[in-house]
Amino acid sequence: MLLPELFALLSSDLFLLLSLLTCLLEERFPKPVPYIYQIAAIMGFGHLVVTKMFLTVFDVDLRFWYNFFYLAVGLANVVAVNLYLAVSKKTWLLAKVWSASVTFPTVFISIFFVYNYGSLQGATFPLLTVDLILILSVVIFGITVAVLLSPKLLKELGRR
Amino acid sequence: MRKLKIIKNIKVKKSSKFLILLLASILVGTANAAIFYSLTMQPQVTVSTPIIKFSQAPDHPGGTVSDAWCCLTAKSYPNATLTYEKALYINNTDDTAHSFMLRYVSITPANGTADVANWNSIKFLVCNSSGYVCSLNFTVSSNYWMLAPSGGQTNYYSIPASGVWWIRLETLSPATATKGTVCNIQIAVDVQQ
Repeated sequence: MLLPELFALLSSDLFLLLSLLTCLLEERFPKPVPYIYQIAAIMGFGHLVVTKMFLTVFDVDLRFWYNFFYLAVGLANVVAVNLYLAVSKKTWLLAKVWSASVTFPTVFISIFFVYNYGSLQGATFPLLTVDLILILSVVIFGITVAVLLSPKLLKELGRR
Repeated sequence: MRKLKIIKNIKVKKSSKFLILLLASILVGTANAAIFYSLTMQPQVTVSTPIIKFSQAPDHPGGTVSDAWCCLTAKSYPNATLTYEKALYINNTDDTAHSFMLRYVSITPANGTADVANWNSIKFLVCNSSGYVCSLNFTVSSNYWMLAPSGGQTNYYSIPASGVWWIRLETLSPATATKGTVCNIQIAVDVQQ
C-alpha cells in the first residue's frame, strides 16, 4: 500500500540531493543555496511529523494534494537548477549532465510513483488533473532537453 | 570584537562544508525515513457497517436486531414443533460474494442439568430462495445437548453479491416441559472478508 507521504519523503530527499550537489558545485551557485535546500528538506520532515500527528483528521485526498504539491516544488527546483546552469551560467555541458543524471531520473521516478499511487489506491482524487500536470511537466521537460542539446534551436524558432 | 574577527577569518573549506551538509543530510534523511516508517506501521481502524448484516424478517420471533448482532426471544411449545419460517434475514450488502458460517458459542442451561430436558430440539436452518443450505441443530439426549454438526460449526457457504438469505428457527419441547424455563443460545456468524 502506497501512502501519499511517500511523495513528501521523495521530495525531501530531492532537496537533500540538491543541497549536496549545489555544495559540490558551489562556485556556480550563490553561497546560501545548499543551506536553503537543507532547510527545505527539514521542512519536509516537519511536514511528515504534522501528518503523523493529524493522520486521523486529514483525509486521504487532502494528504495526497499537499504531499504532491511539496513534490512538485522539489521537482521544480531540480528543473530550475538545470535551467540556471544552462541559461544563466551558460555551462551547457554541465546542464546536459545534470539533465541526464538528476532531472530525468527524478522526474521519471516521480511520475512512476504518482501513477502507481493512482492505480493501486483506487484514489478518489481527479486523476485527470494529475494526468494533465504530469503531461505538461513531461512536455516542458522535453522542450528543455531539446533546447539544451541544441541551443541554436531557440534562435531558429525565434527567426521563424 | 577581536574574537569575532578571528572567527570571520577562518575559511571554511569546501570539503568541511560538504561534510557538514552530508552529516545533516544523513540525519534529516534518517529522521524522515523513521517518521514515514512509523506512518506505514500505523493501523487505522474505521468503524463501518458490516458487509453481511442481520435484519428483521417477517416471522421474527421478537428481540433486538441490529446490523452486527441480534437477540431472538423465541418460544417453544410442549409436544409441538414451532417453526419461524423466516426468523432472521442475513443480507450481503457488498457487490461481491462473501462466505459465512454459523458457529456455536455457548448454551444455557448447561449440559448435565435437569433443565436441559425441557427441550427436544432447537434448530437453526439457513435457507435461500433455492431451499435449505445448512443448519446448526441442538437436540437433547437425556440431560445433554447434542450438537449437529458435531464440530459446533457449519461449513462456509458463499452468499452472492446483494444476496438475502434467512434463518429458519424450529423449536420443540417434550410434553413434560416446565412452562417459563428459558434457554439462551449464543451463535456467531463468521464472515470471510
